[in-house]
Amino acid sequence: MILSDLLRRPVFAADGEYLGVVVDARFALDGTRHQLLNSPRLVGLIVSPISRTSFMGYERTGVRAPALIAAWFRRRERGSFLVLWEDVASLKGTTVELRSRATLHSPRLAGDGRVEG
Amino acid sequence: MKGILAVALGVLTAIGGFLDIGDLVVNSVVGSRFGLTLVWVVVVGVIGICVFAQMSGRVAAASGRATFEIIRERLGARMALANLGASFLINLLTLTAEIGGIALALQLATSIEPTLWMPVAAFAVWLVIWRVKFSIMENVTGLLGLTLVMFAVAVFLLHPNWLDLGAQILQQPSPHSAESPATYWYYAVALFGAAMTPYEVFFFSSGAIEEKWKPKDLAQSRLNVLVGFPLGGVLSIAIAACATIVLLPKGIAVDSLYETALPIAQAAGKIGLIVVILGFVAATFGAALEVTLSSGYTLAQFFGWPWGKYRKPAQAARFHLVMIVSLIVGVGILMTGVDPVEVTEVSVVFSSIALPLTYLPILIVANDPRYMGKLVNGRVTNFFGLVFLAIILVASIAAIPLMIITGAGS
Amino acid sequence: MTRHRTPRRRRLDELAPPPRIAAQELDAQLDLLDRQVLDRDRVQTTTVDDIELTDVADPANPDPARPPELTALLTGPVLGTRIFGGRPPESRFERIPWTDVSEMGTVIRLGVAADSLDATWAERWVRDRIIARIPGGTHDPQ
Repeated sequence: MILSDLLRRPVFAADGEYLGVVVDARFALDGTRHQLLNSPRLVGLIVSPISRTSFMGYERTGVRAPALIAAWFRRRERGSFLVLWEDVASLKGTTVELRSRATLHSPRLAGDGRVEG
Repeated sequence: MKGILAVALGVLTAIGGFLDIGDLVVNSVVGSRFGLTLVWVVVVGVIGICVFAQMSGRVAAASGRATFEIIRERLGARMALANLGASFLINLLTLTAEIGGIALALQLATSIEPTLWMPVAAFAVWLVIWRVKFSIMENVTGLLGLTLVMFAVAVFLLHPNWLDLGAQILQQPSPHSAESPATYWYYAVALFGAAMTPYEVFFFSSGAIEEKWKPKDLAQSRLNVLVGFPLGGVLSIAIAACATIVLLPKGIAVDSLYETALPIAQAAGKIGLIVVILGFVAATFGAALEVTLSSGYTLAQFFGWPWGKYRKPAQAARFHLVMIVSLIVGVGILMTGVDPVEVTEVSVVFSSIALPLTYLPILIVANDPRYMGKLVNGRVTNFFGLVFLAIILVASIAAIPLMIITGAGS
Repeated sequence: MTRHRTPRRRRLDELAPPPRIAAQELDAQLDLLDRQVLDRDRVQTTTVDDIELTDVADPANPDPARPPELTALLTGPVLGTRIFGGRPPESRFERIPWTDVSEMGTVIRLGVAADSLDATWAERWVRDRIIARIPGGTHDPQ
């Protein structure tokens, strides 16, 4: 499977509600051990209600300058969230379906730029 | 003493390297038709290129990365590819214009047909890129280009009416009723594009990597830019002034470098002409080197290929192949008989259109602490950056309509 | 792609906090895709054009205990298909195995030399067939 198989897939909740498209995939470096780096393990998918891929990731890294540009992009891209792998019910076909009562998490990255609560 | 020499060298190289065929042609055309009423555009353009050249140099010194590499990371592949497509095509157009410019300058010197000079010029450009060390290449062409200071000297030798010249600078818009306001603004956009051509920024930041700048080199580079570029801008204005004094009263149109050089012949005779032709050759040759390298830089940086004149050609194979192919294509276009001066005028207008795509990513990257560390933009730089971005957007949007309305300035 | 009504945007306070994970996290699009790859001698190798993951055994019923892992960085024709659509056959993937990656930051560092990788065949081809044949091609400009 390659990443662009997942990107831009529409995401649906268990009840059929359309939630957005996959704009990114989050990994953690705690997979299979190797000599240099561990394999990245898929933590979850970042979903955005706008049907465009994330532009410059302003909403996730907390970089705030230049102020006007950052604020504009931040406003355009608010509303994205993270769903964990455990909450993915199906990757069949060209969509992503979530389990019932799947949790939608904040997409903020820890430890990169300023993080807000 | 060595320190002062190094500083002087940097500044002088910046002055001499500032002018290319676009500046030579458009400034003399503007002077011959609008007098000095468009000088303010040159001033605005110089400030703009200073702001962004400084920024892109700082990005290179702080992050160790050249501008186009970062454009793909920050904008994503799709937008960067669009940017690459536009930049590469405009680069190719500019390259064609510069090679044509070398041939025109050599025609002035030798009266030999430019078409015969074109392949020779392209081959010479390639040979220098293939073999000559980066810093030597820069310094020699920059210093020889200083002979264009002859234009400034000529302004004095022509004994103009200073009050009249000064009044023209402040007059808005053109007092010459033969030219419509649309044409005035068309040439404003063209002049702006000639001052802020995208290749300059790509070249500047890649050159910073070539010369291995570290943050401690930034003070030196700031001096080169803030002193050298404005003085280069003064030479641009001098070219326009010479055209205003000699060509405008007689209604002589600028169709080739011959008319651009005419005021020098009048002011300083044969010797002045020889000096200025040397300057034409050096300026266009230097610009051709920079534009060709920019073609290589942008393509190689987008795809992640090894690049750089500091590497053996065998270690940056695709980088060199791109440049060879670009030169061949450029000569090919010229051999179809197109007028290099017209190619030049079209290339500067299209440069204006591509400017936002180039400058917005630089502004964004220069603010990202993950690349810049402590050297992120300050408030003042961001303010100027945003102001110029707005100006660039206006010029870019207005370019095509103005081109259509005015029939490309005719 | 069928058109859907634009879903509502959830505010941050409507979302659960991000899960606590001990290891370093990275987002593929933000941190890996389109990044420059340098080899162990800091020579540019390629940019990351796409990423290969382990296959999911049963896509209709993915196992929550077995998330896919990233196995390789991809370059080559995948860039065209990522931008314009489609998918090249797996035999045409040009891979840099994840096991060669030593460091991640604004650039991705490898622990091996670029020439030893399959994925750098194009550079070697141009070098051997064209550039090395022109006089001075192996001349050191410094």
